[in-house]
Amino acid sequence: MSAAISPPVGLTEPENEVNRRPSFKSRALHSPTFMSGAILTTTIVALALLAPVIGRYSPVAQDLLHPLAGPSGAHWLGTDELGRDVWSRLLYAGRTDLQVGVLAVLFPFAFGVSIGTVCGYFGGRIDSVVMRIVDVVLAFPFYVLIIALVFVVGVGTHGIYIAFGLTDWVIYARTTRSGTMVARSLDWVAAAEGGGLSRMRVLWRHILPNTITQAVVYVMSDIVLVILAVVTLGYLGLGIQPPAPDWGSMISDGQSFIQTNQWLAAIPGLAVVLTGIGLSLLGDGLADVMRPE
Amino acid sequence: MTPVLEVEGLVVEMRRDRRAFHAVDGVSFALERGGALAIVGESGCGKSLTLRAIMGLLPNRGRLASGRVIVDGVTLPAAARGRGRGHNQQRRMSIVFQDPLSALNPVATVGNQIAEAPRHVLGFGRSASRARALELLRLVGIPDPERRYHAYPHELSGGTRQRVMIAIALSSDPAILLCDEPTTSLDVTIQTQILALLADLRSERGLSLIFVTHDLGVVSQVAERVAVMYTGRFVETGPTADVLAAPRHPYTSGLLAAALDVDSPDREPVAIPGSLPDPLRLTSGCSFHPRCQFATAECVTSDVQLERVGPGHEAACLHSDALSAALAAAEDV
Amino acid sequence: MSEALIEVDDLSVSFRSEHGHLLRAVDDVTLRITEGEVLGLVGESGCGKTTIAKCIAGQVAPTSGVVRFEGRELRTKRAAQDRRAIQMVFQDPYSSLNPRMTVRHVLSELLRVHRLVPRADIEARCSELMALVGLPPGALDGLPSQFSGGQRQRIAIARALTVEPRVIIADEPVSALDVSVQATILQLFEDLRSRLGLTVVFISHNLAVVRHLSDRVAVMYLGRIVEQGDRESVFTDPRHPYTRALLASAPRLHQVELVRPTVKGEPPSPIDIPTGCSFHPRCPLAGEICIRDRPRLEQVGANAEHFAACHFRDGTPPPAPEEP
Repeated sequence: MSAAISPPVGLTEPENEVNRRPSFKSRALHSPTFMSGAILTTTIVALALLAPVIGRYSPVAQDLLHPLAGPSGAHWLGTDELGRDVWSRLLYAGRTDLQVGVLAVLFPFAFGVSIGTVCGYFGGRIDSVVMRIVDVVLAFPFYVLIIALVFVVGVGTHGIYIAFGLTDWVIYARTTRSGTMVARSLDWVAAAEGGGLSRMRVLWRHILPNTITQAVVYVMSDIVLVILAVVTLGYLGLGIQPPAPDWGSMISDGQSFIQTNQWLAAIPGLAVVLTGIGLSLLGDGLADVMRPE
Repeated sequence: MTPVLEVEGLVVEMRRDRRAFHAVDGVSFALERGGALAIVGESGCGKSLTLRAIMGLLPNRGRLASGRVIVDGVTLPAAARGRGRGHNQQRRMSIVFQDPLSALNPVATVGNQIAEAPRHVLGFGRSASRARALELLRLVGIPDPERRYHAYPHELSGGTRQRVMIAIALSSDPAILLCDEPTTSLDVTIQTQILALLADLRSERGLSLIFVTHDLGVVSQVAERVAVMYTGRFVETGPTADVLAAPRHPYTSGLLAAALDVDSPDREPVAIPGSLPDPLRLTSGCSFHPRCQFATAECVTSDVQLERVGPGHEAACLHSDALSAALAAAEDV
Repeated sequence: MSEALIEVDDLSVSFRSEHGHLLRAVDDVTLRITEGEVLGLVGESGCGKTTIAKCIAGQVAPTSGVVRFEGRELRTKRAAQDRRAIQMVFQDPYSSLNPRMTVRHVLSELLRVHRLVPRADIEARCSELMALVGLPPGALDGLPSQFSGGQRQRIAIARALTVEPRVIIADEPVSALDVSVQATILQLFEDLRSRLGLTVVFISHNLAVVRHLSDRVAVMYLGRIVEQGDRESVFTDPRHPYTRALLASAPRLHQVELVRPTVKGEPPSPIDIPTGCSFHPRCPLAGEICIRDRPRLEQVGANAEHFAACHFRDGTPPPAPEEP
């Protein structure tokens, strides 16, 4: 008769094995979306930040003796119609556009998430009033508003900041509000409140960390939208004013030379596209990595 | 007499985190005409997937890796499964799911849902299928069928919805009814009604039944044969009364010891040590050995198969005799 | 006779449905819960047992009636002390823990906010709480997604115990768990109850579990208590036809014959409660009086501890109880 072996030590207590969740770093490294987005975005940001170092000329320095030159050892991407180095202009434009992109979403994010949380949790009249405002704002055509603002405030980036501040917060408010409403009905919120924690504490320390991930992911694509808006305005001549470079105005200027020097319009266009892709991938990747299961 | 359903070596492969594992790992059984088999197990053991594999309704993450399904002596070609109910033999089986609210189409009236199979599968005309649907509503015990025909699923109570599901399952005139935890989400008094309905359908129409459940207490009322499932395999099969009274596999006796019975309130339930293994990390040999008090070195190395331990009774355990002895000794105490 | 720890008097909770119908979730319920006992609250879905629990725990405000703790009235807005005294454990282990908070964070936050132990002792206390529910101290670093259903329930119990409650209301704590895991959690409840002297309100539709754990039982149907008493009286001598139907329908491991339903139909919508005895449309014993007069909870025979709300509670003799 074979000897019976007792169950392994530690298993006499039922169910004591705990699954170890891979760390954020590990999950991030294993997500191709996140990694490709992170690499692309970091590269672009790094290039933009290093503009003074790797840009070889001042972006406004003209060289009227060598306009519209093709790529060469002296000018890696050639020169534009005023002899300015395209590579340097590209980098400095990136700086400006990225900066505006990030700054413009800060207020909408902070305000939208906060008001959405409050509406979702308390409901009632605040919720009705705010949601009606959201409806009105959403109905408004964005570019009409921006152009109107530009006439009031003047051209340049102020118009963009104000316009985004007035309109962009609604998306954050809406998604955060629904996330909060869902969370509020869950048992763990009832447990937190039942445990004697104040409502403010539950709202900001318990619910918000759960609802904010969606907003953070959206921020990435929102930055892309801002950059596109800046670029569009630049293209229309209403954005960042010359001689400061910006991708939009570079595209607009390059348009006249599309038949002979295609790259003048194409290169900044490509920069915009790559930035957009990088940020979108990063946003998607973050969504995957931050999911709590 | 050929069994109405035979399943041989069913293996279902599922993918998770880019790795594949066998959620159903070699299941075989035969169902006699008019007979009933209960498949019992805890969550994740593969019992629902077994039914779905037989019906050809596997989710995208899964595929039938091998095995045969033979209905009335005719082997179902693998291609016919999952391809709708066109195949003749396929129509001999119907399935009833656990949650009627999500299994019924929310935007179609229940009458139309019941009439669908007669109309589009059996080829009845419009009024004939409507008449059939009304007949089925009556058959499953729904009062006022003419009015209920036009109701939408959300307007009905849980028990009525489950009866509607059964009516839909019967509408194609199947010989075999596969039930995937049909009463789990219902109140216990309604469960009694549904189980009685199923029993009556069996006796009146000669329906054969496969009933999947996690509730051991329901098994004795439903089926005369039971199969206990663990990590994708049958670990014990046999006549219900025998298996429940004298289990021959430690997992079965573990489940019985852990279960509470309303008639024995003073018996302390005993938990099975350890926990359900992760299917991606199964050990060699008998998958139950890490939790088993009878386990020996042999259990870790040999691939334990179902062996006969009594009339019609099989268990996949090298120590089923030791188990019987231990249970008998405990009884005497 | 010991003073009741919790008194529920004439509690009613009604909601307005979206179409403006009045939905009576709880209808005129009176209960006494003595310190240290386990009260089993039994009933099927929609009977109001969860709503009563939420009223006692302070999550839902009653439409009328009162909840008292140690003689003091408790409203939904209550002092931290009172909130701590009554804690709930919920049914669904997958939505009862904040997915983004580690176990340590959940427990230590409660300890800090209520100043239950000096700061230096917080970590030690967290480990103690883990040990109390049978989990290793390493579990403190985990997020809910890393745990199984049974482990999550244990964490939820640990959370409830953190604030040193007097009463635990467990709302179907094992219904979502596998059989072998249920046994572990039930053992845990018994263990905690005897070790910590907790009072437990155990809500379940599962009669076997309730019979095993409870000292006293109250059976509910459509928002009303239809029978209540000490465990053995209710289970061996049920006097309300609904209780008998529940007992007959309870799954049994060694059932020989198919159980034929003794009650027909299904519970009506709580918007449309029948007149008189709300059970009469389904009741095998229903008579004229049942349609007219709503029966009150009254003593059964000579047993001062056993009450039933049925006109025939002393009349028709109940069937012989099942032999195990």
